[in-house]
Amino acid sequence: MKALERHREFSRIWASAPGFKGLFSTVNHTDLGRMFLVTAFFFFIVGGILAMLIRAQLATPHSAFAEPDLYNQIFTMHGTIMMFLFAIPTFEGLAVYLLPKLLGTRDLAFPRLTAYGYWCYVFGGGMLLFSMLFGIAPDSGWFMYPPLTGAISSPGINTDFWLIGITFVEISAIAAAVEITVSILKFRAPGMSLARMPIFAWYALVTALMILTGFPPLILGSILLEVERAFGLPFFQAEFGGDSLLWQHLFWLFGHPEVYIIFLPAAGVISTVLPVMCRTTLLGYGWIVAAAVALAFLSFGLWVHHMFTTGIPHMGLAFFSAASTLVAVPTGVQIFAWIGTMWKGRPDLRLPMLHILGFFVTFVIGGLTGVMVAVVPFDWQAHDTAFVTAHLHYVLFGGFVFPILAGLYYWLPHFTGRQRFFYLGEAAFALIFTGFHVTFLAMHWVGLLGQRRRISTYMPEDGWTTINLISSIGGFILAIGIAMVLIEVILHMLTSRRSPRNPWSAGTLEWAMIIPPAPYNFASLPHVTSREPFTDDPELAVRLASGEGYLGRPNDLRETLTVEITSGKPDYHVIYPTNTHLPIIMAAVTGTFFLSLLLKAYWCIPIAVIGVAALAWRWVWVLGRKQDLPVQDIGHGIELPNASTVEHSPGWWGSLFLLVANATFFGSLLFGFAFLWTVAPGWPPPAWFDASAVELALGTTGAMVGAAAIRRARRANALRQPPLAWLGLCFAGTLTVAIAAAAITLRVPAPVEHAYAATLLVLGSYALFHASLGMLMVAFLVSRTALGFTSAARKTEFPVVQLWIDYLGVIAILVFLVVHLTGWLS
Amino acid sequence: MLVGCDGALSIVDPAGPAARSIALLWWVMLVGGVLIFGLVMVLIALSFRKRAACEDDAGSARLWIVKLGIAFPVTVLLALLAYGLVIGEQLLPRESGETVIVRAEARQWAWNFSYDDLPGRTTQDVLHIPAGRPVDISITSTDVIHSFWVPRLAGKLDAIPGHVNTLRIEADRPGTYQGLSAEFSGSGYDRFTFQVIAHDETGWQAFLTGETE
Amino acid sequence: MTDILRIVIAPLVWLAAFTTVYALHGLVCGHAIGGMPFGTISVPRLLLVSAYALAICAQIILLISLYARRFATQSEFVRFVSRATGWTALVATVWTLLPTVTMSHCL
Ligand code: HEM
Ligand SMILES: [Cu+2]
Ligand SMILES: [Cu+2]
Repeated sequence: MKALERHREFSRIWASAPGFKGLFSTVNHTDLGRMFLVTAFFFFIVGGILAMLIRAQLATPHSAFAEPDLYNQIFTMHGTIMMFLFAIPTFEGLAVYLLPKLLGTRDLAFPRLTAYGYWCYVFGGGMLLFSMLFGIAPDSGWFMYPPLTGAISSPGINTDFWLIGITFVEISAIAAAVEITVSILKFRAPGMSLARMPIFAWYALVTALMILTGFPPLILGSILLEVERAFGLPFFQAEFGGDSLLWQHLFWLFGHPEVYIIFLPAAGVISTVLPVMCRTTLLGYGWIVAAAVALAFLSFGLWVHHMFTTGIPHMGLAFFSAASTLVAVPTGVQIFAWIGTMWKGRPDLRLPMLHILGFFVTFVIGGLTGVMVAVVPFDWQAHDTAFVTAHLHYVLFGGFVFPILAGLYYWLPHFTGRQRFFYLGEAAFALIFTGFHVTFLAMHWVGLLGQRRRISTYMPEDGWTTINLISSIGGFILAIGIAMVLIEVILHMLTSRRSPRNPWSAGTLEWAMIIPPAPYNFASLPHVTSREPFTDDPELAVRLASGEGYLGRPNDLRETLTVEITSGKPDYHVIYPTNTHLPIIMAAVTGTFFLSLLLKAYWCIPIAVIGVAALAWRWVWVLGRKQDLPVQDIGHGIELPNASTVEHSPGWWGSLFLLVANATFFGSLLFGFAFLWTVAPGWPPPAWFDASAVELALGTTGAMVGAAAIRRARRANALRQPPLAWLGLCFAGTLTVAIAAAAITLRVPAPVEHAYAATLLVLGSYALFHASLGMLMVAFLVSRTALGFTSAARKTEFPVVQLWIDYLGVIAILVFLVVHLTGWLS
Repeated sequence: MLVGCDGALSIVDPAGPAARSIALLWWVMLVGGVLIFGLVMVLIALSFRKRAACEDDAGSARLWIVKLGIAFPVTVLLALLAYGLVIGEQLLPRESGETVIVRAEARQWAWNFSYDDLPGRTTQDVLHIPAGRPVDISITSTDVIHSFWVPRLAGKLDAIPGHVNTLRIEADRPGTYQGLSAEFSGSGYDRFTFQVIAHDETGWQAFLTGETE
Repeated sequence: MTDILRIVIAPLVWLAAFTTVYALHGLVCGHAIGGMPFGTISVPRLLLVSAYALAICAQIILLISLYARRFATQSEFVRFVSRATGWTALVATVWTLLPTVTMSHCL
């Protein structure tokens, strides 16, 4: 077969539906990556316009431009949009677009999940945009501290838009994170061991794991606060045994890692682009991986540095001050490794390099001021002033926007297949760089002169007028620069100078393909023997296109293969689902659930939940087959089993990492309970739970029976015996757990009267939810088995269900113990 | 005007011991920060020199990563951390016979101050203290979170419903100092300010005997 | 997967120790176990410092295992990275929990 013929054939198999309509059913990562990036950039523009409104308002004293009520919405939405709707989705988009190409494979692990995540993001973001257009946007600052956000101080719907909309968007982040983690660990080209992974993949892996463990505390906090607002369960009200500090802990437990979730992918871009701009390789690859891992972990031990002024004892603050200074070390390792890379090579001042220099200047200043505010006494002064605003923009703009602009110009030829034609970019860089520093450098000083953040106006006698005016002028210079970037990108897509295939002479695999990329990425998958396969073999692209790698024979299926995690040896063969509307429908129904909450149309919630469950059922169901697949020949004499016949299918890995996120959520809930118990005023509660040994015994036994029975079912299936009886027993065990959990929710003392009872209600509901989920899964497995979708070979669904039943067992037993023991202890 | 330090709310124009030691901390950090920034920029600039490419990766890693990336920050940060923690310890409100105790209660958007030495007397949005003596403020809130901050005297401390936090302030000299509530609290936040009047010895006695309005 | 675990285990143990000590400190101060003396040092201090010592011991044991033949890994790269994170976690433990020894606890 000729290369061209192969291209046509693969394109037919992998193509999305033609035209605009194809966007709604595409599951292709190249399409979805582009959609993510375009949408995120749109939100960047919206956030930027809001920033201009802020600067317009603050340019002069006594400003009459916006009243506080409106101004509060503006800065809240600016922060919220930039953090949740621009920065995180930009990472997701970049990772979704690039990873399979960098890793030498054809798509991500769960193509439909990518699409679902994208649509959740669009719908959730749409809700927030809607609130803004109608003047009912959130207005309590991007960290939403109660009691200000409680029902008493903020009775309007504004706050609900934030809590519900952002939670919706976070589903998309979690989905993307599961997707990215499994893809990096399993979906790579043969031979790509951990040591040969492109550095961006390491950063993306670390970031995705951080999303999985960083976002759940905020999701929990948002749920608790929304429940407090809607139903009066007093988690954050001091009079009823709640504590507003709990929110701050949960928020910053998320919020600090968030900053690194934003920075690390950008650092991944720098680590990828900088060596190419210097015609060399990255210095200290292993060190950088270790630094990224260290940074990720340390960043989970910093959260209290946002709470230095809340009256926590000094020793407590000292732990976090120490950790916050320490985190500068792995950051320093990366910075100096990059500078060392520049010394090692010959840096060339091409456009991406300019933005990297912009990054260095800006981010180093941001890091230094960060160390300053990590010193407790200084933060007592600087906290909540314009100094912090300046610091955070040096970090976020320097540490994210400049690297992303570098990446944008670096991969633009890849996105479009065209060459830059109008050289606006250099001028745009000059404007952005100057504008940024004019806006924010002097803002540090005005903060030291006592200007608080989030004020809508000030007086001439405060003495801040000059600096604010300069800052606003800088803001508009910056805006012109950004607009020029936008114009250049649009012109770029309209003009027609084709780019050569590897315009920067890079060594990574994403350039070893035609650009713009074909939907299947590689006509055959490479065998990787180093970190820069394309440098080792400049003919690689041609050889892959002519089918010399693995899986080069088109056979009407979307195929790829997975590898063993460490070694990169081929592991099993995977067949992807094709184009479908299921993700967008699922996202819409999920959106209905959130909308019903928002509009307090509670009757609609069960309908939406059933809808989601039914769609999820269908989602998994369509993957099944009634015949065993033989081992697959992937070329070069290697044969692999199909994913449906292995112990640890992609679905198992996905479940595992979803459960990691879930466990973090549960852990945060337990932490919240312990925190309220020990710190909150207003304890002990007026009434304790009436503990019952019978319920405790019943629930615990049910959980253990369920876990034992699913194992027996799995064994029976492997031995070609009918597993149905064991599945029935598993169902019964799970049902018992559900009943014991339901008993808790029904028997707690009045939950509106004390945070103790309210928390027990949440714990019981959590167990009940998982028990119902477990029952649904067992029922699914029963139907599959009954209808002949499983066999001794097609066994891969059993371990997945077992994983969930085991998780249910652990959390249920913990919940029962906690709830009943607190009843007895009293 | 652009680079002046003075101002009624300026933390670089301290008027009390706590603010003064933090201002000193700031100047030290500023100088250190500028030096480090300069070093990094010089290193970056030098990488553009024309020179033979160096391909000794292990040697470069030792220099760039172990020495500059690890040893250098660790040294600087350890010193800074120790300095910061020592200052922090000094600023804590420890027991001492001399302190004056004041209770500050915040609500949207006013501060009520009451005085242990003068039971029954409360003042709104004006806090009276003696100059030259440490004053411990017990801070709380009745609605949302606020923060008590007199930039020229000391750092800020939050007023949180259900909690009482204690902040020590002291003014060197008699005079009027501007205070702010420094935690966003909704639509009245802009104008949520107060004043601290530090009295000399006779003025304070007059206040305690109820002669001051 | 074990290789990934090897890389993250030491920092994970640091994180657990760090939050535990912080929680212990919150507990001690929240419930005013404060004054009780135990010989010349107070009970809270004793608790916190022992937790600190324990955390350091745990890290040292981990680091030794990361160097041990018995638990060796095939991949030289993973060996390097896991030892680097192991050292980081040890340093982090010593560094971030040092305040248990030097700071006054409930002010
Ligand atoms: C495009 C240029 C930008 C300008 C001119 C700008 C300007 C501002 C200003 C003046 C404020 C302070 C409002 C106040 O508290 O007084 C602010 C707040 C904030 N900005 Fe930006 N910003 C820009 C870009 C960004 C980016 C890229 C991010 C994040 C990725 C970001 C995140 C935030 C956050 C989180 C806040 C805090 C909001 C709050 O207090 O609730 N900004 N911005
Ligand atoms: Cu932080
Ligand atoms: Cu803060």
